[in-house]
Amino acid sequence: MVCFMASADTIFKEFREHSVAEFFRKNRQMLGFAGKTRSLTTIVHEYVTNSLDACEEGGILPDISVKIESANNGDHCIVRVEDNGPGIPPKLVGKALGMMLAGTKFHRYMQQRGQQGIGASGCTMFAQITTGKPVHIRTGTGTGKVYECDLAVDLKTNRPLPANEKTVDGDFKGLIVEGEFGEVKYDKGEYGVFEYIKRTALANPHAQISFSGPDGDSAIFPRASSVVPQKGQEVLPHPLGITTHELIDMAHHSEDRKLTSFLTNNFARVSAAKIDELRTVMPNFDIDKKPAALTWPEAEEMTKAFQQMKWIAPSTDALRPIGKEQIEKALVNILNPEFMVVGDRKPKVFRGGVPFMVEAAVAYGGNAGRRTAEGAVGGSIIRYANRAPLLFDAGGCAISEACNSIDWNRYDMRDFDVMPITIFVNFVSVHVPYTGAGKQAISDEEEILDEIKRSVMECCRDVQLHLRGKARVGEREAKKKAIMRYVEQLARDLADLSGKGSAEQIQKKLVALVEGKYQKHIEEASLEEIAGEAAAVEHAANGENGNGEE
Amino acid sequence: MAKKDSEAALEKLETLGKNMIAEVMRGSSPEFETAVRSRGNINYDESFGYLRLGEKKETRTFVNVGQARKFMQTVAVASKCKKFLEEKSHTSIRGLFYQLKYSLGDDVEEELFTEQSESNPLIEDLEVALTLKREDLNLNTDRKGVVAGEMTVVDRFGGDETKIDCAKQGRSGWAIPSDVDNGMEFEKVDANYVLVVEKDALWQRLNEDKFWKKEGCILITPKGQASRGCRRLIKKLSQKKLPVYVFTDCDAWGWYIYWAIKTGSMNLAYLADDIATPSARFVGVTMQDIVDYDFLGKLTINAKEVDLKRAQEMMDYPWIARHKEWVNELKTVLKTKKKLEQDALQGPRLSFVGEYLREKIKAKKFLP
Repeated sequence: MVCFMASADTIFKEFREHSVAEFFRKNRQMLGFAGKTRSLTTIVHEYVTNSLDACEEGGILPDISVKIESANNGDHCIVRVEDNGPGIPPKLVGKALGMMLAGTKFHRYMQQRGQQGIGASGCTMFAQITTGKPVHIRTGTGTGKVYECDLAVDLKTNRPLPANEKTVDGDFKGLIVEGEFGEVKYDKGEYGVFEYIKRTALANPHAQISFSGPDGDSAIFPRASSVVPQKGQEVLPHPLGITTHELIDMAHHSEDRKLTSFLTNNFARVSAAKIDELRTVMPNFDIDKKPAALTWPEAEEMTKAFQQMKWIAPSTDALRPIGKEQIEKALVNILNPEFMVVGDRKPKVFRGGVPFMVEAAVAYGGNAGRRTAEGAVGGSIIRYANRAPLLFDAGGCAISEACNSIDWNRYDMRDFDVMPITIFVNFVSVHVPYTGAGKQAISDEEEILDEIKRSVMECCRDVQLHLRGKARVGEREAKKKAIMRYVEQLARDLADLSGKGSAEQIQKKLVALVEGKYQKHIEEASLEEIAGEAAAVEHAANGENGNGEE
Repeated sequence: MAKKDSEAALEKLETLGKNMIAEVMRGSSPEFETAVRSRGNINYDESFGYLRLGEKKETRTFVNVGQARKFMQTVAVASKCKKFLEEKSHTSIRGLFYQLKYSLGDDVEEELFTEQSESNPLIEDLEVALTLKREDLNLNTDRKGVVAGEMTVVDRFGGDETKIDCAKQGRSGWAIPSDVDNGMEFEKVDANYVLVVEKDALWQRLNEDKFWKKEGCILITPKGQASRGCRRLIKKLSQKKLPVYVFTDCDAWGWYIYWAIKTGSMNLAYLADDIATPSARFVGVTMQDIVDYDFLGKLTINAKEVDLKRAQEMMDYPWIARHKEWVNELKTVLKTKKKLEQDALQGPRLSFVGEYLREKIKAKKFLP
């Protein structure tokens, strides 16, 4: 349930020599605690992600509430996150929330949100080192008992320090974590908690998330779908998707006696026949040695050998996209757009061995796009990796890069920067190639860039059709309006001039006449018709030239 | 007769409105058709002898964003004119503009008319489309021009009927009204010909000399370029089989006055049938006069640039180029770079003007 970033094992090596707190202070940037706004978003992210993952594992529709209050004269924030998940058994609470865990789970190849950040235990430590206070836990697993405690981490030994434990009778099922944090700031901007929650809700239409902020602002993002996403499926890595570093790590943690069995047991598509092929590719390599004895040069040689061999592509079964229908529901629910397109593309593979999939959607109008404090609207690109919003480091991310390389002119979106457009991209993979330890940007590998660009452009094509139609309708509406303002005067004068009929009656007829002409056009708008109309207007303009001579 | 005229105009306006309403009731956009009045549709018609509008028509329709406003305005002008006719009141085209300069509604930031330049051409559109003159729509034009001679006119106006004897108007003559058709009856015209004198000064000279009485002519001065009413009066008199002689300066302006009376003008080509008098002849003054009357040679003045330019242009107009007499006249002007004013005829003695005219008319020394 609690998962760790790639460098977690590095962290634990350091733990032996330094105190956790010291390490934490030194490396907070890479842990997501860089800047006050980002720190608060990271905290909320850790708790919300844990809740979503827990509910998913328990097959529960998540109901999450996030509350942030100001404390200590505005210097501190109290963050309270409550979910309706399966809860944590009391004896595991300390391990889950008060201790940095290392273990074989780190290497499991499974699509999950919690691939980033530092975990809820990191938040516990962050509370301690910025306010000196423990976090408060309250959880129930549906047994009729509710467990409560204050929890801290022993910064020297990395052991949980529960205090004030009590168990009471109660029906509460789920988890409540509440902590007071310093060196944080509540911000309503695009890096703030609110934006994070909104984006989370967009990518998790099965969740209901309510939020209340310190300024008294609150929001509920209601559930748009009652389908609980399928649990992630653990898959073995593909030989082409592995780096030298990862190979060594896996080998050193392996209990297999020989490299051969290590390879066949821990990798996809590695058969006995492939082991034989590997032997011929690396004739001088002792492939029967103990995995734990694998050296860096050997691991390097092996990954190179993998590249020279032909492999069956990895299975894409483990990919868990949000799904076209679910994204549509979420977009309607939260952005209420005038128009939207959700792409529908097949999984792809990068580096030859890592399956991935890009889910792209473009929403136009309604609440789509970003809004500045002054109310100005602009196009926005919202990025996700496995449903988790990526708020930071947009500059170095493959999603931004792919979107920025699109020629908006081609899609009648020249004014993207001031248009009410949201471009939604969810990168789905069991192995997300982040650019850095902050895990906020996806590496710009060629296959990834290409696929993102294609997915977004595919959506943009449909949006363009919509925009064109809209422009046409707008033009006709304007024309209709222009003529309508003359109807009343004309009706009066026609009645007077002819000395017959009432102005009201004539006006009604004229209105129907104008309505009829432009309504028909709006409904039947087609390119041919536009061409015809343009010609007619030109003709009329030419006709008028013959008039003014005085 | 007066009643009948205004009734005809009323009927035309009503028919226009009824036809439009019929179109609306049929479910089609109401239309208004009129002749194109631009230069491209104005031709010199040899058989008529004046400038006329061609066949090009222009249709404007209401349910068209480019034409809706103009269409509405056209109907507004027509409707307003109908009201004038019904009320038997007259106004100027500027008066009409002010009657129609108002907002289209509280919530509409647009006026029915904003500039008079919008309403003026629409009046002309109606004149052409309904084959009537603005005077028939009770729209006055500026009065200009004076007449004296053996002619009696009955003027029914403002409920009164006034008999005007143009032979008894003393030194001032009868001021030609803007409308010489509606409510106007030429009861008696007893004259041999019509003499149109460009300048009021010369008209006064001839009036004092009792020229019209002695000669039995209708003496008219348009005081420069002839107004619509003045041209219409000349046309009407010509239709009473009276020859029309025009007497102007020998310069650009004088020639223009003559040709406007005779063949009409570009701007009023649409009214040519009513106001062009192709039978008019040019009596003087001419370059030939310098040869025929010695003293005039010393009374020429230098032609201005505009006179020479105009002379050059006139030689290219088909309706002038066909008269070799005029071509010679203009060539002489271009060669000598001189021009001659009608006032110069007062050189020897004031009454010489009359002698000159009498002599030329008797000898039929005209330019065509």
